[in-house]
Amino acid sequence: MMDWARDSLEKVAASRKARAQEPAPTLTDAESEALLNEFHPDYLGMERVVGVGPNAGTQKFPLELAELLESDSPLPQSFEPAIEITTDVLILGGGGAGATAALTLAESGLKVHLATKLRLGDANTVMAEGGIQAALTRQDSTRRHFADSYVGGHGNNDPELLRALCEHGPAGIRWLSDLGCLFDQNEDGTFRLRKGGGTSVPRVLACRDYTGLEIMRVLKDAVLLTGTQILENHSAVELLDDGEGQVTGAVLWDRVSQKLVSVSARAVIMATGGSGQLRIQGFPTSNHLGATGDGLILAYRQGCQLIHTDSFQYHPSGSCYPEALAGQLVTESIRAIGAQVLNVQGERFIDEMIYRDVLAGAIIREVAEGRGVPTPTHRSGVWLDTPLIELKLGKGTLGRQFPGLIHRFERYGIDPAIHPILVYPTLHYQNGGIRIDPSGQTDLTGLWAAGEVTGGLHGTNRLMGNSLLDITVFGRRAAESVIKKIPERRAATLAGLKKFREGLKAIQPPSSGTAPLLFPVASRLKFQLAEKSERLSGTEPSQEKKQFREPPDPFGGN
Amino acid sequence: MESGTVEISVAGKPVQAKVGETIIHALWAAGMGDAVKTGCVGGVCGACTVNIRFKDGKPGGTDLACLRPVEEGMEVFPCPVESIPAVAPSSEPDVASLQAAFPTLNRCTKCGSCTTACPMSIPVMDSVLRMQEGKFEEVSEDFITCIHCGLCRFVCEDKVKPHNMGLWVRRSEGMSRDNPSLDQSGLEPIGDAAEQEWTYLFTGDPEERFKRAKYFREHGRAGA
Repeated sequence: MMDWARDSLEKVAASRKARAQEPAPTLTDAESEALLNEFHPDYLGMERVVGVGPNAGTQKFPLELAELLESDSPLPQSFEPAIEITTDVLILGGGGAGATAALTLAESGLKVHLATKLRLGDANTVMAEGGIQAALTRQDSTRRHFADSYVGGHGNNDPELLRALCEHGPAGIRWLSDLGCLFDQNEDGTFRLRKGGGTSVPRVLACRDYTGLEIMRVLKDAVLLTGTQILENHSAVELLDDGEGQVTGAVLWDRVSQKLVSVSARAVIMATGGSGQLRIQGFPTSNHLGATGDGLILAYRQGCQLIHTDSFQYHPSGSCYPEALAGQLVTESIRAIGAQVLNVQGERFIDEMIYRDVLAGAIIREVAEGRGVPTPTHRSGVWLDTPLIELKLGKGTLGRQFPGLIHRFERYGIDPAIHPILVYPTLHYQNGGIRIDPSGQTDLTGLWAAGEVTGGLHGTNRLMGNSLLDITVFGRRAAESVIKKIPERRAATLAGLKKFREGLKAIQPPSSGTAPLLFPVASRLKFQLAEKSERLSGTEPSQEKKQFREPPDPFGGN
Repeated sequence: MESGTVEISVAGKPVQAKVGETIIHALWAAGMGDAVKTGCVGGVCGACTVNIRFKDGKPGGTDLACLRPVEEGMEVFPCPVESIPAVAPSSEPDVASLQAAFPTLNRCTKCGSCTTACPMSIPVMDSVLRMQEGKFEEVSEDFITCIHCGLCRFVCEDKVKPHNMGLWVRRSEGMSRDNPSLDQSGLEPIGDAAEQEWTYLFTGDPEERFKRAKYFREHGRAGA
């Protein structure tokens, strides 16, 4: 396997024993800064200001996002909302933050609807691998958690949000445990804690390399046992408001019937997640199908400030080969327990446990300067020396601790216990987003937000394990704040959109597309309304194959 | 190597695909993304279940379209599995409470279809037998990689619900487990010492605060 890299693989294998005991290369603060400035995608100036909305002319956005912020709504000009669903709380998004909010609201007596573009649980949460962090030991403290995260975020974090995250971290873990989440334990029954990049003490809990899956399947099961009304295949395409700055509902697009559904709600919780599928600067992504930044667009049109939306996390270890796995996450935990990152010569060039953005910059530099490993699929990456784990910690360690890694690669004939794997940064996390206060409330009455769609908490670089904690802590806080402060029902109109459309007239030339994008460009899936399209394309049997063959019995033997 | 195209069929319709790409990505390129239900595109949400037949007519098994690379002549049959209502876990799990929650527990006839169908290589049937014996710790371990695609339930002719039971056992085990890490005192961030440390971290202009945070993370306590 990977014969095209035989020379390089031999070098990696030859130096493995000697490298095992070597200390990591050190890096000064100035060198870190230089790496970021010269090689990290956030720092390359691929951004611009926009001409409309609350941040017009004052703040820069990545080009791909700026285009969407200046795009019109897909709603027809003539559309007027006719309320079909009346509820107390409308949660937009079916990932970890939305599910957590729904659970927290379950006993409140409020009527709750949760609308999600895909199915409940199809979200970045379920794809999170490495863990969730909270201060749970005597050598640790919530203040130390804060300090690690604040330095990691370059001091750009909103300190009040970060303090709330760290202080409520232990209670968040307890809440998940009480719901039945099983985190890996030591022999004495305490949680097994690992370091993450930038944590000064072991603080990261995990469920093998399926931590997000464990949390999401438990949350989903728990939500399904509440009275929450779940609207699957319902994308939010616009927020409704009362014409006086209060958010009062949303227009949803039912992808199956291809119809619009207008919802009146006393409170809306935005939990739509991130935007990796915008594929900023052409990067591959570790994100799910629906991660197109829809919530940013909707809240911005209503007048919410967006902060740090020029900051994205390029996870240093995205898979780079085989092509079928390109962009998919290879968890940081593998580096945390000793896998080194190597260039084509089999040389280490960076401390693997440095902050994510610096490591991503270092890997991009190696490849840009010709020290990467070219693949036959026209990519280039660096080695993640996974067999080193087996050497350091004993045979079988990878399989026991990272079953997901082994499972994904073995079907392509690559055994990470024997061969190193190729990695390159992948677009992983939207660091910024909608501005909120520590109770999860946005700038607007009636609108709360939680999770990846929000900004400020992580500053301009997020630490591993802080996003799963984010959805847990802020999903709960937003819901608790809604319970306390839910306003009375008011009229649900498109006044906000009308005002935004006025502003759009100043944008010349106008953007050709519409926003929210809903699906990645590469998927060619699009918003369309039933009266305009006769059928979904591609689902009808072709003319030339008139006989529709029965599917095989997969258990009938060969 | 890794170049050229192949032709596959999806739900009876021919699709041109690039060697090395997955079924999902081939469908996207062909403008047929609606043909197979899709969620995470990363092998963990279980939405894109399909059934496959090879060119030579042999069965190619059930799989996830987002992870399965295309092969010349492969026929793909979308196989979406609807979820069923959730069943509340128990904080005192035993065979009797599992049986009460899932009355079909003992209907397994050991045909092994569930194990064959599982795209995550979970020993599903063996684990159902372990459930019948109340070996819940082992069951929890078996289902650690379960993505709840539902294929094991979909193929079961005896209406056993292996993945739903797996989750029930795991949640019940989790709810009844003692967590010494959570029982320690000191978890509550209240107290004068903690307040003083917060004051340290929140004092000064942004540059000063950043310096203080750096000091704190290196020493685990406030500076002078």
